Amino acid sequence: MSLAISTTDLEKSYGSVRALDGISLAVEQGEFFGLLGPNGAGKTTFINILVGLVRKSDGEASVFGHDVESEYRAARDRIGLAPQEFNVDRFFPIREVLTHKAGYHGITGEEAKARADRALRTVGIYDKRNTRFDWLSGGMKRRFMLARALVSDPDLLILDEPTAGVDVELRHDLWEIITELNDDGTTILLTTHYIEEAERLCDTVAIMDQGEKLTVASPESLMARGNDTIRLRLESPPTRPPKIDDERIQEMTIEGESLVVTAPTGGEVAPALVRSLDRQGHTVVDMDISRTSLEEVFVSLTGTDEAETAPETEPAAPEGML
Amino acid sequence: MSVVSAGWRTLVHREILRFVRRPRNTFLPPAITNALYLIVFGVILGGRIDVGGDVTYIHFILPGLVVLGAVSDAFQNASFSIFHGRWNEYIHEVQTAPLSYTEMVIAYVVASALRGTLIAVLITGVGVLFTNLIPSMTPVEFAHPVYVVAFVFVITLLFAGFGVIGGLWARDFDHLTVMNQFIIRPLVFFGAVFYPLSTLSQFWQSVSLLNPMVYMVEGVRFAFLDISDISPVVSLAVLAGATVVVVAIDVWLFKRGFGLTD
Ligand SMILES: Nc1ncnc2c1ncn2[C@@H]1O[C@H](COP(=O)(O)OP(=O)(O)OP(=O)(O)O)[C@@H](O)[C@H]1O
Ligand SMILES: [Mg+2]
Repeated sequence: MSLAISTTDLEKSYGSVRALDGISLAVEQGEFFGLLGPNGAGKTTFINILVGLVRKSDGEASVFGHDVESEYRAARDRIGLAPQEFNVDRFFPIREVLTHKAGYHGITGEEAKARADRALRTVGIYDKRNTRFDWLSGGMKRRFMLARALVSDPDLLILDEPTAGVDVELRHDLWEIITELNDDGTTILLTTHYIEEAERLCDTVAIMDQGEKLTVASPESLMARGNDTIRLRLESPPTRPPKIDDERIQEMTIEGESLVVTAPTGGEVAPALVRSLDRQGHTVVDMDISRTSLEEVFVSLTGTDEAETAPETEPAAPEGML
Repeated sequence: MSVVSAGWRTLVHREILRFVRRPRNTFLPPAITNALYLIVFGVILGGRIDVGGDVTYIHFILPGLVVLGAVSDAFQNASFSIFHGRWNEYIHEVQTAPLSYTEMVIAYVVASALRGTLIAVLITGVGVLFTNLIPSMTPVEFAHPVYVVAFVFVITLLFAGFGVIGGLWARDFDHLTVMNQFIIRPLVFFGAVFYPLSTLSQFWQSVSLLNPMVYMVEGVRFAFLDISDISPVVSLAVLAGATVVVVAIDVWLFKRGFGLTD
């Protein structure tokens, strides 16, 4: 069985800017694959090479075994793309934009209309079917981008930041729709800046930065690479951290009334820790273990903390955003 | 099974709807402009202008007006549709569709040529109406109907093909205006639309022969009136050859992604 997406040493230069610097990726059929990276990492460039909106400078790329250049028609026939930027034909009502899109994929007449209606119902904007794209609200526009990607019933659904700047309800709606599609066998490639989203949805994530692939792993194994934080509230906190003999403990500090301990696997360290503290005469009144977030792993890998820059572009950035 | 793919038919259909759904923009302006031309040049001034033979001026200019309207609309339709699609990025819908580059180009060219052809029919209709309404005039007739169809067919395809290049090349709306106003229109106006070549001095006659419009206008005039300074068969062959070359260039540009991909 061929890979849904396979690239080898994919390169793209815009003049002196190396947008992609030798990306090799393999996405299995049926996988829910996340592509993470800070702004300008090259995510959109990668996607656009697959669909034919950007010409690669070097390397290979194929979709379901079809080379994206020499067998572009077969490759494009399998893909549904919801791009980052709105690129919708504003002359026609949205239902017609969908029947046209279906038509390009060989689906015409009543079948195309049925597909269009189904896609509009799936994303919940069926009652707006005779409206033009310009007259949809921002959230409805995002919904429509998904409907357009779905209307050809793609085997590979590519979503380039589908939830950027949408409200919580819509985000959850979109998650539900794409999770269902993935359960039914659709391969999904998702880029996002919401780490929570990747953590929740993706089987595998690739983290890239400045055109290079830093790592590919499951969100769980990535999180296992980082440390958990154990926060213990003590009855009478000491001024300096007590000495505890456990090589798994990375760091101990006193923060107010709490002792803060970092260790790779918090759940395993905690019981022994509490016992040791007890033996030394400290009474633990409360304990809280927080796992490493994917976000922390991401920040340590890319060296970018986008939390500072993000609000400029996304004023309503909810928590959990990079 | 149809010879052409469903995807191609969809794109042609979409491109046709784009102008058919705006009749006031598509059909009204050429109808009014050409009615004005015919009133002023054909009816009011026409009696004082002698273009030789027993041809009245209104009959003389009508073929030229048909060419002018048909080619500028075919050009404008293709260039605008492609440029506007690039500008608002909805051409991505076509670019990412599973159509071959040849299908994409031919769809734009055919839809635009159809618009040019409809305009040709419209202008001819205005001419027929005028000459039938005014009792002193002989109604418009077609000396060689097959040539009329053949010429209109080829020249609208040719200019739709040029329009594709223009639409890919333009970087701004101004570029479209420049191409239409400063290249196409002057070529047509100096392309023997309003005067017979023989009114020019020998030198300017030779210069005019470098203008491709001359062959188109002369060809269509021959088809209407059976008068021509240039062999219609040669004109038709040259224009058909040019059309094939231009469309091949269009396809090559699409394949290269000229103006379409980074
Ligand atoms: N058309 C272009 N011309 C020149 N440079 C470009 C072009 N498109 C992208 N780039 C550059 O390529 C690099 C990668 O851009 P890309 O859009 O792929 O990043 P991204 O990971 O999608 O970022 P974001 O998260 O902001 O969407 C950036 O440095 C960008 O400036
Ligand atoms: Mg992007």
